[in-house]
Amino acid sequence: MAASRPRSLLRNLNAKIAAIPMILTALVVFTGGTIWTVAYSFTKSGLLPRWQFVGLDQYERLWDSRRWLVSIENLFIYGACMLVFSFVIGFVLAALMDQKIRFENTFRTIILYPFALSFIVTGLVWQWLLNPDLGIQSVVRGMGWESFTFDPLYNAQIAIYGVLIAGLWQGTGLIMVLMLAGLRGIDQDIWKAARVDGIPTWKTYVFIIIPMMRPIFITTLVLVASSIVKVYDLIVAQTGGGPGIATEMPAKYVYDYMFGGQNLGQGFAASTMMLLAVLIVVIPWAMLEFGGRKRG
Amino acid sequence: MARAVTTQRKAINTAIAWAIGLLIFFPILWTILTSFKTEAQAIADPPLFLNFDWTLENYAIVQDRSDYMRFLWNSVILAGGSTLLGIVIAVPAAWSMAFVPSKRTKDILLWMLSTKMLPAVGVLYPIYLLFIQLGLLDSRFGLVIVLMLINLPIIVWMLYTYFREIPGEILEAARMDGATLREEILYVLTPMAIPGIASTVLLNFILAWNEAFWTLNLTAVDAAPLTAFIASYSSPEGLFFAKLSAASTMAIAPILILGWFSQKQLVRGLTFGAVK
Repeated sequence: MAASRPRSLLRNLNAKIAAIPMILTALVVFTGGTIWTVAYSFTKSGLLPRWQFVGLDQYERLWDSRRWLVSIENLFIYGACMLVFSFVIGFVLAALMDQKIRFENTFRTIILYPFALSFIVTGLVWQWLLNPDLGIQSVVRGMGWESFTFDPLYNAQIAIYGVLIAGLWQGTGLIMVLMLAGLRGIDQDIWKAARVDGIPTWKTYVFIIIPMMRPIFITTLVLVASSIVKVYDLIVAQTGGGPGIATEMPAKYVYDYMFGGQNLGQGFAASTMMLLAVLIVVIPWAMLEFGGRKRG
Repeated sequence: MARAVTTQRKAINTAIAWAIGLLIFFPILWTILTSFKTEAQAIADPPLFLNFDWTLENYAIVQDRSDYMRFLWNSVILAGGSTLLGIVIAVPAAWSMAFVPSKRTKDILLWMLSTKMLPAVGVLYPIYLLFIQLGLLDSRFGLVIVLMLINLPIIVWMLYTYFREIPGEILEAARMDGATLREEILYVLTPMAIPGIASTVLLNFILAWNEAFWTLNLTAVDAAPLTAFIASYSSPEGLFFAKLSAASTMAIAPILILGWFSQKQLVRGLTFGAVK
């Protein structure tokens, strides 16, 4: 006992030391960088960061900017549709696959492939598939339906839905595979009991299975939500924010002001707003996920 | 799960599932097919499916014009380097969290994971300034560090979940036999966690390979990887679809092939370890 004591102390010390590089990098880079950005969002920084305090000026200008408002609106449309559609499609596909199909592993790989591609490739491929002269529209017209129109990227009213299609294509596979894992984790006897009681399949899903899959739903939700706020590459590759400003997104706004608009303060203010938005999503999740477990 | 499913029902389900799979795979397939067409055939109306003259000229042109190999090499170095560095830093950290947890371990993990969820734009400028000061802009070394940093939380988290499945008694037994800490981690823990580490490496490699936000913003010429290479083709005036397809195919081929031969790790990795 006496001999093992210093040893376990040493071990604890080693454990602390082992974690230091990781903690330092996370602390210095992320927390430090974020605080820096937030602090400078209250300054008049233009081409270069300057410590000249102007209060909430940058934020007032931000919320007066039509481009920012369009970005926010787009983010909401994209985000809401992405969440709803990817969850519905992902879950339905998972339920379908849960019935046991042949070559399941290969199917799973194929359906995950889009997720393994970069947004840049996805954006370009869909820019092309949605091009009215080359893609889906021309194929359908070629088959004889001459008046068929499907050109979301060229119509400012619905351009954001063109981006949504590409986003869904890339992200739904991941959700399906996660949901499938959740379905597989559910006890067989639940299904048997439901069948004995004569509960229809869809009711079993809605009232029994889905509530039981709450943890996997929350994990998936956080993954999807955090990727929505960050959407940037897809826009750059697929539409460049156009036509006009129809598909602008907050991350692109920040970037353009930091590097293109020579107005750093605006960029910082916008990224601070994004940060706030993420916190609103992350904090409740953290409380649910980690706060609850500690008590239990 | 295995709710009694008749053979007929199973065949129907399989057919539906594969139809969906094909639909999802179609854009990728189409890109690959187009890369073997001539420019004129690529924009032919109606589109040609398989009945065209297969040619490799696009690949030759793409390589000729933009030195594809240099971008590829940069991608390999950035993705490989950042993954390797990340693993080296993350294994000890995950070990300490999994086997010598303290009261704060959960908090640290949570805080670390939440940094991954923050929008990267929030730290873009400070890092950009830092890079200018240190002369790291457009250098492979600087990008390896940045890519490692942004993916580190995920690496640590995944390794932590895998390590926790390993019984601590085994490590203890090694210690009783006189293994030092370094030996304990290197020769006992690591070999047992190989499947988990493989998934983590694969996921991180793919994430770093695809990372565009940082690579587009912090590189110009010297360190630019494939994402920058493809993005340069996205300009609206550059409607060379066959060449663009060839470039995209070359960019995604390594991932598709790597994924095909490691399906289990791919699924496990891409789902962040949620699928065992």
